[in-house]
Amino acid sequence: MILGRVVGQVWATRRDARLARAKLLVVRPTGIYEPAFGEPAFGEPGSGARHLVATDDLDAGIGDQVVVCLGAPARVSAGGNDVPVDAAVMAVVDRAEIDANALGAAGAGPGIRRKLTEALG
Amino acid sequence: MWMGRVVGRLWAARQAASLAGRKLLLVRPETASGAEGHRLIVAVDGLDAGPGDRVIVARGSRVRDLTVGADVADKDVVIGIVDGHEMAPS
Repeated sequence: MILGRVVGQVWATRRDARLARAKLLVVRPTGIYEPAFGEPAFGEPGSGARHLVATDDLDAGIGDQVVVCLGAPARVSAGGNDVPVDAAVMAVVDRAEIDANALGAAGAGPGIRRKLTEALG
Repeated sequence: MWMGRVVGRLWAARQAASLAGRKLLLVRPETASGAEGHRLIVAVDGLDAGPGDRVIVARGSRVRDLTVGADVADKDVVIGIVDGHEMAPS
């Protein structure tokens, strides 16, 4: 799962029928969950795209920080294994915290720390 | 999923039988905040989108199986055509 912030909402009348009741949100990933190697899938953090579209049944809104699940488990959350989606909001975050010391121990530089702090701020 | 604009269509006389002659769209990631990245994705059209349309593209073999069918050899499928969207000012 990844962490992101809701930056928009999308409406689409012509859509796959199984998506009928899903609310669609535009989410900007924090960009801190980039895979260490290999090319990320399109739309995932690090791919160049700066947003994801995710289904939402937790009633998240613009400005909320959310946890988004990618891939197969997202379908189950979106209403069943036969819903053709690949991203779903799994949680609306009340509070997230990063321990600067733990981050230092992991070898992260000040730049990464700043980026993380900004992302959570 | 991600949102993009259909910037073109793609035709290929010589193509794998597994593409099943499906309509292929060139899609560039874009929101109201602007275009993103430098990649163009070749997506199979699950609806009836055309150049200029803003669309939602989903990825994965399961998504493909559920929409255009398991016999199509592409994992990026157009699943929605955007009427409108709202973005927070950035």
